[in-house]
Amino acid sequence: MSSRDKILAAVKNNQPGPRALPSLPGEDTAAHTGTVDLSSAFVSVLEAIGGSAYTVSGFDRIATILHELHPRAGRVITGCPELAALGEYGEKYADPHTLEDVGLAILSAHFGVAENGACWITEDRMIGRALPFIAQHLALVIRRQNIVPNMHVAYERIAELEAGAAGGNVAGGDSTGGFATFIAGPSKTADIEQSLVLGAHGPRSLIVFLIDEELSDAGFY
Amino acid sequence: MTTNGKDHAALADEFNKDEPRVNWHDETLWWVRQKRDKAAHNVPEWELLRDTASRIKDNVLSHLSEYLIQFEAMAVSNGITIHWAADAEEHNNIILSILRRHRIDKMVKSKSMLTEECHLNEFLEQQGVDVVDTDLGERVVQLAGEPPSHIVLPCIHKKKEEIGEIFHEHLGTPAGNADPQFLTHAARLHLREKFLTRRVALTGVNFAVAETGEFVVCTNEGNADMGAHLADVHIACMGIEKLIPQRKHLGVFLRLLARSATGQPITTYSSHFKKPRPGQEMHIVLVDNGRSVHLGRADFRNSLKCIRCAACFNTCPVYRRSGGHSYHTAVAGPIGSILAPNLDRKKYSDLPFASTLCGSCSNVCPVKIDIHEQLYKWRQVIVQEGHAPLAKKAAMKTMTWVLSNPSVYHTAGKTGRWFMLNVPFTVNNGFNPWYRQRDMPVSPAESFGEWYKKNKK
Amino acid sequence: MRVGLFIPCYVDQFYPQVGIATLELLEKFGCEVVYPPNQTCCGQPMANSGFEHLTKGCNALFIKNFEEFDHIVSPSGSCVLHIKDHLHGDGTAIPQKIYELVEFLTDVLKVEHLDASFPYKVGIHQSCHGQRGLKLAQMSELMAPPFSKPEKLLKMVKGIQLIDLSRRDECCGFGGTFCVAEEAVSVKMGKDRVADHLQHGAEYITGADMSCLMHMEGILHRQKSTVQVKHIAEILNSQL
Repeated sequence: MSSRDKILAAVKNNQPGPRALPSLPGEDTAAHTGTVDLSSAFVSVLEAIGGSAYTVSGFDRIATILHELHPRAGRVITGCPELAALGEYGEKYADPHTLEDVGLAILSAHFGVAENGACWITEDRMIGRALPFIAQHLALVIRRQNIVPNMHVAYERIAELEAGAAGGNVAGGDSTGGFATFIAGPSKTADIEQSLVLGAHGPRSLIVFLIDEELSDAGFY
Repeated sequence: MTTNGKDHAALADEFNKDEPRVNWHDETLWWVRQKRDKAAHNVPEWELLRDTASRIKDNVLSHLSEYLIQFEAMAVSNGITIHWAADAEEHNNIILSILRRHRIDKMVKSKSMLTEECHLNEFLEQQGVDVVDTDLGERVVQLAGEPPSHIVLPCIHKKKEEIGEIFHEHLGTPAGNADPQFLTHAARLHLREKFLTRRVALTGVNFAVAETGEFVVCTNEGNADMGAHLADVHIACMGIEKLIPQRKHLGVFLRLLARSATGQPITTYSSHFKKPRPGQEMHIVLVDNGRSVHLGRADFRNSLKCIRCAACFNTCPVYRRSGGHSYHTAVAGPIGSILAPNLDRKKYSDLPFASTLCGSCSNVCPVKIDIHEQLYKWRQVIVQEGHAPLAKKAAMKTMTWVLSNPSVYHTAGKTGRWFMLNVPFTVNNGFNPWYRQRDMPVSPAESFGEWYKKNKK
Repeated sequence: MRVGLFIPCYVDQFYPQVGIATLELLEKFGCEVVYPPNQTCCGQPMANSGFEHLTKGCNALFIKNFEEFDHIVSPSGSCVLHIKDHLHGDGTAIPQKIYELVEFLTDVLKVEHLDASFPYKVGIHQSCHGQRGLKLAQMSELMAPPFSKPEKLLKMVKGIQLIDLSRRDECCGFGGTFCVAEEAVSVKMGKDRVADHLQHGAEYITGADMSCLMHMEGILHRQKSTVQVKHIAEILNSQL
């Protein structure tokens, strides 16, 4: 009898009587209704966890801000065609080790989550799984209206995105590729006497740009 | 008992010899408990979430064999190789065989309490494999030659000056530098070199989803991802109980995990691994190591719901004042005290007694494990199976006799009080553990029973 | 109302004044209080040490002494919780009829007014079994509305000043045989609890469990502190 068979037999024999799955909490969280509330909640949580956020009217603004904040970024890779002028765009990197010297990666994420300041990004937007982690600094771009209130709605949104990507074919949910992640702020640690240090092994900083074409530039950066 | 024979009480006694340090350890962890409270307070439906998570895990345990089969099928169809390990030894050998097949003797590892439980590092070291733990806290204790003392904050027992010394000795940082920012940056550079040069990465698994065959790894540092995405081979180790039924359930657990652990709304990275990178091998090792046996124990199976957040550690007044090493087991604290006796009844017979049964742990547990009730029940099992010290057994038998017989009780009480009043030295001495740091209560002239007889009847 | 009075073994032997205060308090509210003379102990010390199987004699004695009463009251949260959770046998109804003193006053007698005076600064020690087990007060772990039955009663006492604490409901470290089996941690926990009260200016530390107070008193005396412990029954029964 293989270990697999032994284990499964023991588990089957010992598992208790059936207990039903509960329903999940609904979409309601305190005080999150319209888009404006969600994006300001998102920004305030993101800033509290060490990230920074800019609400902008378009990619020109993003380019300007990045020039100001990362003037000596060195090697820049972007997944946004609108920012192709800032660095490498449209290339493929067979060996992730060659990304070791990337100073700044600018990627497009799908949506943000207001309750925790996280952004969801799938492999197809990462230009290789290693890039969002190996770059010294990371910037993510989302549309301001693509912010969900909490993680329950986030997984509903993920399911919709996957169904869309597969053309409605969601058998086993395997249509979006093999890797995705929520990124909430820069990498960090508090392992040394609970002192928070931003910049552990992943990027040392994270900027999230929230694009809202309805915005005018007056009064903003 | 540890290998050098010391139990929790003896180790805790040593820990308490340095009172300022105990205060520092206690206050640091209490601060983490307070951060948890603040985060939980920001989620109005917090208690509903706990209840939901608890019931999801109840469902998992009751259908575990079906979920395991479903998970395996999905993962395999996604190109992942699944291994089954009945025990720690088999787990260690499976990992070694993967390394041997690839002729690799250097690897990186991110946090996995399961690998601590299986003593993987020691095993691999003996086989000539160099393992670098990449979580900063774990790297610190690895360099110090110690086990972690906390499952989320591995070196919480170490002061920054001590970490500075360790880094000075092993990484060449300047002597006397204890600045967390500087030390973290030094670790970043040191470990970046490892990520870039090692071809095998081992990670733990926070959650595995039966519906999709994917697994989720949560870190703040990004070390699991740096290892996995640069490695040719990614091995993920998980206890069989780490499953959840459907992807949407991740919403519940990811809302609870970091808030319970450190007071953050979520860890920096919650990485969902479904398929290997093209050209990469991905392995999952499913480990039993006593879990299937534990599943059969009606009184104790709920401890398998644990999501390893350590909220119970941070709230436990005993853990905070004795430190993780006093528990002499991979997973310490309250949850460790109800899991370990399953692994070795005799060796860990002391742990369920390292508690006042205050109940704080059960009420911070995000999956509502009845920890303090299980501690009580383990005490009965341990005594029934003959692991109580002889002196204690004798004392309890005497107590039973006295307390079951009113006349004996009255006499014993009167006698005891007489001695305490007239010959206080009989109890106020070095043999009386109470007397070490506390005065004995003052003996009254008469007991309540005697007063009642005189005044009321 | 006829009430059976259960006095914990260590209160009987070392703190008879707590039993007396409890009895007088109940009589003040019109109860006929009966103390079965052959009672001894609830069995908790054995049970918590893993020797639950030795408590049959104790349990039988308890049932024999108290089954006849419609209400049983005791000035001890941990003893009452133990009886509620662990007294089985002979189809006894005692677990449903036993009350800790504070909850009896608030929930059964529904006391709204006390003729008592205690013009001192008092810290409340929330004993764990009473608080988390009997729900005498809300626990800080839960995200739930605050309440406190001991505090409600104490606020009826004239002149009393209730102090805040840094850690409202941390365990004192007594824990039954834990107090000697894990002496170092037990004492450290007790010292920290005492320090919290002292830092906030307590003149008295009160609570519903004399075991916790006995442990803290031992530490206070060793420190030669002027701060004293007083069971809540004594404060609620104090004279005007």
